[in-house]
Order: sequence, then structure tokens, then C-alpha cells
Amino acid sequence: MHVGTGASIAFWIMAVVAVVSASGVILLKDIFRAALLLVVSFLSIAGIFVTLNADFIAAVQVLIYAGAISILLIFAILLTRDVQEGNPSNRLKIPGMFMGAVLLTALIVVFVNTEWRLSTEAPLDSTTAALADLLFSNKFVLAFEIASVLLLAAMIGAVVLARGEDE
Amino acid sequence: MHGDYFNDYTAVLIASVAGVVLVLTAFVGSLLLSPRARSALKDIPYECGIEPVGDQWSQMHFRYYPFAILFLIFDVEAVFLFPWAVVFLSPFLTSAIFYEMLIFIGILGFGLLYSWKKGVLDWR
Amino acid sequence: MPLRDLYLLSPEISIVGVAFIIIMLDLWIERKGLLPILTIVLLGLPLGFTISLWGTEEQAFDGVLVVDTFSIFFKVLLIGVVTAVVIASQETAARFRRFQGEYYGLLLMATAGLMLMAATRELITIYLSLELSTLSAIALVAFFKDTRSTESGLKYLVLSGVSSAIMLYGMAMVLGVTGTSSLVEIAKAAPVSSLADNPALLLGVVFIVAGFGFKIASFPFQMWVPDVYQGAPTPVTAYLSVASKAAGFAVLLRVFYLAFGDFSSDWSMLFGVLAVISMSLGNFAAIFQTDIKRLLAYSTIAHAGYILIGLAAVASRVPGGEAFGPQGVLFYLTAYAFTNLGAFFVVIAIANKIGSETIDDFAGMSKRSPLLAGLLALCLVSLIGVPPAVGFWAKLYLFNAAVQADMVWLAIAGAINTAISAFYYLRVIKVMYLSPAPTEERVRLTPPIGLAVAMTTTGVLFFGIAPWFLLDFAIRATSGFPG
Repeated sequence: MHVGTGASIAFWIMAVVAVVSASGVILLKDIFRAALLLVVSFLSIAGIFVTLNADFIAAVQVLIYAGAISILLIFAILLTRDVQEGNPSNRLKIPGMFMGAVLLTALIVVFVNTEWRLSTEAPLDSTTAALADLLFSNKFVLAFEIASVLLLAAMIGAVVLARGEDE
Repeated sequence: MHGDYFNDYTAVLIASVAGVVLVLTAFVGSLLLSPRARSALKDIPYECGIEPVGDQWSQMHFRYYPFAILFLIFDVEAVFLFPWAVVFLSPFLTSAIFYEMLIFIGILGFGLLYSWKKGVLDWR
Repeated sequence: MPLRDLYLLSPEISIVGVAFIIIMLDLWIERKGLLPILTIVLLGLPLGFTISLWGTEEQAFDGVLVVDTFSIFFKVLLIGVVTAVVIASQETAARFRRFQGEYYGLLLMATAGLMLMAATRELITIYLSLELSTLSAIALVAFFKDTRSTESGLKYLVLSGVSSAIMLYGMAMVLGVTGTSSLVEIAKAAPVSSLADNPALLLGVVFIVAGFGFKIASFPFQMWVPDVYQGAPTPVTAYLSVASKAAGFAVLLRVFYLAFGDFSSDWSMLFGVLAVISMSLGNFAAIFQTDIKRLLAYSTIAHAGYILIGLAAVASRVPGGEAFGPQGVLFYLTAYAFTNLGAFFVVIAIANKIGSETIDDFAGMSKRSPLLAGLLALCLVSLIGVPPAVGFWAKLYLFNAAVQADMVWLAIAGAINTAISAFYYLRVIKVMYLSPAPTEERVRLTPPIGLAVAMTTTGVLFFGIAPWFLLDFAIRATSGFPG
């Protein structure tokens, strides 16, 4: 598939931003800054979705991840005591980096050596309607309704855990 | 057609570049133009007024957390509403799509009703 | 969405409905003691729907939901397990004043998720069902909100998050190679004849196995088990150890027989190796435990290993003939459900009275409560696999499946592990019968938990003496396999 030069440049800029900010999330000692960098990472991933012609997914990424999840995360940090102490020094840093390197190598080797099933169809101009047709089709409606029960269970679980015994 | 897709995002590109440039200008400008006089007195939060006591980090109460969770859950619901609204009047779909969303919102509405009755929404 | 589809989904719809009713009633009813009774009565609804569907071989929602004897077998098992757990929860639930309705409601929602896992054959739906059960279980694990229970909940949350992320990544790779998320279509679209020819498909399969390994508590995602089992409310521990394992194996069987059936020679070895590691790891670690819940936690890892033998023994399937592997898995899961629930329920009954879960505090239990000591001994003997308990037949069928599949080494590994496991199970029995009791105070069995203990231990004995009833069901449930 031919990808325009502009889109390619945009992809690489956002890919670098995503990786650098994600590394910052795990390397920074200050967890509040780490959370803000996570938002940057989420946003650049949304940009990558745009270059992949997945406009609805990009919007979801901005709404849910850069919007709601980040707020939840920052909320959680605000609820924490002793936040200045930051990330406790991690004894497993070296094994963690080693495992990360192994996984990265494995993934690169796999991705390069695989014959992927590539679509020959032209990308859709707007994916929202196509996604909706699928989402509300007979095939995925079950998953859709399970998602609502899942959200409900999360809500009830959160209320149970967040509310004390005596209120 | 393919070009149109990315042309739609030109505005986004211009806005992001403008945002970055504006912030950078402000920072670099103040760095270049402002006079520098550092002293211990300058670094305290309030140069004049009462001496700050204790830690500037104030822990928030845990009871705010269910609000955040509720917000997240209804945010996810809203995301599902957009594609639903796009195809709602599509001639290819049956009325089932209406009931599918009704059940979805009904289940989450049950959750809202539950939180309400449980007093999660009370501001105490 | 035709009405017939809704009828085929009625067990799940009704169990979620019961959860709603219980949670709603909790907001208005003052006498909380009614809630569990109502839960048990209303559970008759999903059970009735499930049994009325027995014998149908149908699909709904464009083939996503499948109602066959296999899924109905698991639905009956899961509803049975949750009923027993609700009965056994009475004294534990009395420890928290608020959130009675939520406790039972979340148990039911977790069960709905597990039931859907056993009955769907589309990766996205399977994933969402799995998350539904896991999220509800996390809240249940942390329900006590004391330090240990909260720590367990946090560990469960983080590790289940990691494992589902890995599994989702694996599913995405399978989707990328085959272009579909439906298990039937994956089998048709898989581009190669051996997994080794397509690295992404291979890695995807390995990641999916790792994710389900979390649910069934097998290697490489077994590390959460002891801590979570120890800190969680004991009825929840019992539920997790049995129900979540059963549904996990159901979905493993379904995914691997249906989607990757052509590659069975590739993954058979993978499961064989995982089986041996899980068995050995669980059994060796269990020897050193002093807490009965931790001991049963390590034992559950070992049993996940035994059951994996049934998955590895795929080659035992004669074309057009019987599938010994899946039959053994279904039989073992049911036997394990009766046995392990029985063991946990007796532990609850004893621990609620003596206030301790340390094995040494069970000393002289044969004097303090001959009945409870005897029943715990029966369950432990069944876990070892000694007749006349049902565990004997379960192990026999699985090891036989391995031999039929020309995997004698697996059967031998299983036998050696059984011998090792006898050591720590018998140690508990020895403490109960031979160590002197610290006090003469009797330990009495109260009605609700007594009923739960009676239900499960009767099953252990009955199916131990007459295993063919259960075997008949297992054979019929796997007759249409893969389906």
C-alpha cells in the first residue's frame, strides 16, 4: 500500500514521541510526571492510529485513554500518601530490562519473519459507520452486551472496595 | 480520496504545531528576557505573607474515587453511543439496534441507580 | 436478534438477572439473612433453563454462542459450584455487615462470565467473558478489606491485567495472520500446516496459552495462586480454585480443538511440558506449607498440571472414536470440583470455630470433631487419588488417556507426582489423627456449612463408588467434540 510522505513523517515523529515518553513513564522517579508522560504517549498513539486510517479508534484512544484513564490515574496519585518518595528503588530493574530486551527481540524476529495477511482493499474514508455495522450485527452484539455487564461489575466492585464499613 | 483523508487532519497538525510553538516561545522568551536574581527567599512559595507550614502535597479523600470510576464507565458508554448514532437511521439495519442500545444503557442505568441508592453520589 | 437466540442465551441472561435482583433487594431488605436463601432459590432459574437446553445442538448470534452438551455440562457444573459456595458463605458473609447483596451479586456475575467462556467461540467474546469473571473475582478477593485481603486483591488485579494483556496480544497476532476472530474461521484460514512455519501464529498461540494459564492456575502464571488464595475470603478461594479452573479448561479445549485442531501435534507437546512443570512445582512447594489454604493453593497448581495431561493427550483420539483426553478433563474437573470444594468447606467449618488456618492447629481434630476430620481425610485421600474416592477414577482416566496417546512419560510423571503429593496430604491427616489435641473443646458443624459439606462429600463418595454415572455425562458432553 502506498503511504504518503507526509503520513510517513508524521508516523515516525509520533512513534518516537510515543516510545520516548513511554520510557520516561518507567524511568522517572516522580510518579506525577510519569503519569503526565503517559498522557503524551497515549496521544501520540492516537496519532499513529490516524496514520493507519483508523479514525474512530483514534478518537476512542483520545476519549478513553488520554481522557478518562489519565484522569483516573492522576486521581489515584492524588489519593496516595507519600507521593514525594516516588518509585521505590526497584531491585528487579536489571532482570526486568533483560526480560524486556528478550521480548523485544522475539517480537521483532517474529514480525519480520511472518507472512501477514494483508488487506488489498482501499482504506475507508470514515470507519465509524463500518464499525457500527459490525458492532451491532448479530455476531458482535453478544460481546457488546457483555461489555455493559462488565462495566457494571467494575462499578459495583469499585463501590464495594471504596466505601468503608461504617458510613 | 486517500489524500482527502489526511487533508482532514491538516487542521489538527496546524493546531498542534501552533500549540507547541506558542508554549516554547513563552518559555524561551521568558528565559531570554527576564532578569535573573536567584536567592533562597525567591524560591519559597509566597514571597510575602505567611510562612507555609508542612507539606504542599495534600492527600485527597478516597471517597472521590467512585466518582472517577463512574465518569470512566459513562465515558466508555458515550464512546459506544457515537457509532450507534451514526448508523441509527441507516436503512440496512433493523429496529434491533435500538433495543440493543436500550439494554446496554439499561444495564449501566442500573449501575447508576445502584450507586445513587448506595449514597455514592452524596457529597458528604 | 431472533427470540430463539435469546432462549439459547437464557441461562446467562437469567443468572445476570438474579444478580440484579439480589443487589437491588439488598438496598431495601433489612433482614440480610434472606438474601442467600433467595439467591439459592432463584439459582433454580438458570439451572432450569440450562437443563431444558440439554440435548440441543444449536448456535446463536451467527455462531458466536454455541449450545451443545459440552457447554451445558460446564454450565451445570458452574451453577452447582456457585450454589454450594453461596451455601458455604453464610458465616463468612456475616463478617461484613454491608455489601451482602453485592457479595452474592458479584459471585453470580463472575459465574455468568465463566458460563459464557464455556459457551462462546469467538475470541473477542471469550475475552470479554473472561474479563467479566476476573473483574468480579478481584472485588470478591479483596472483599474483607483488611490488609491481607486487600493485598491479595491487588496482586490478583495486577497479575490478571498482565496475563490478559499477554493473551490479548496473542489473540491480535492470530487475528493478524488469519484475518478473523471466529474459532471456526481461524481453523479454515490458518495459512500453514505447522505452527513452526508461521512465527506470529506460533507466538500468538503461546501467548494465548499463557493467558489462560492464569485462569487455570498453571505454569507460567501460577505465582499469584498462594498469596491470593490465602488472603481471599475462603469461600471465594474455593470458588476460584474450582469454577475458574473449570471454565478455563473449557475454553482451552474449545479454542485448541476447534481453532488449532490441525496443529495438535505442535501444541500437544507444549501442554505436556506445562503439565509436568505445573505438577512438580505445585507438589514440591506444597510439601513445605504450614497453612492449610496455602497447601491447597499449591495443590491446585499441581492439579492444573494433572488436567493439562488430558489436553496433551490429544492423539488418543481415534478418528471417529472416543476422545479420551477431553473426557478425562471433564471427568477430572467435576471430580476435582466435588473434592476441592469439600476440602475447602471443611476447612471453613473448622477455621470458623478454632480461628486458625494453620495445619498444626488442626491437631487432634479426630477427637474434637470425628465427622469433620473424617470428611477432610476423605477429600484429601480423593486429592491423592486413592479409591474409593472419586479422585482415583479421575487420575486413572487421565493417565489412561496419556498412555493411549503414546505419551507414557506423561503418565509416569503424573504417577511420580501423585506419590510426592501423598506425602503432604497424608501429613495433614496424620496431624488430625495422631497429634494430641490442645483442648478437648468440641468443634461443631453448623447447618448451612454442614449442608455444603454434605453435598460435596456425598459427591466424592458416590462418584467414587459409581463413577460410570459421571463418566457417561463426560462422554456425552464430548461426543460432538470438537463442536
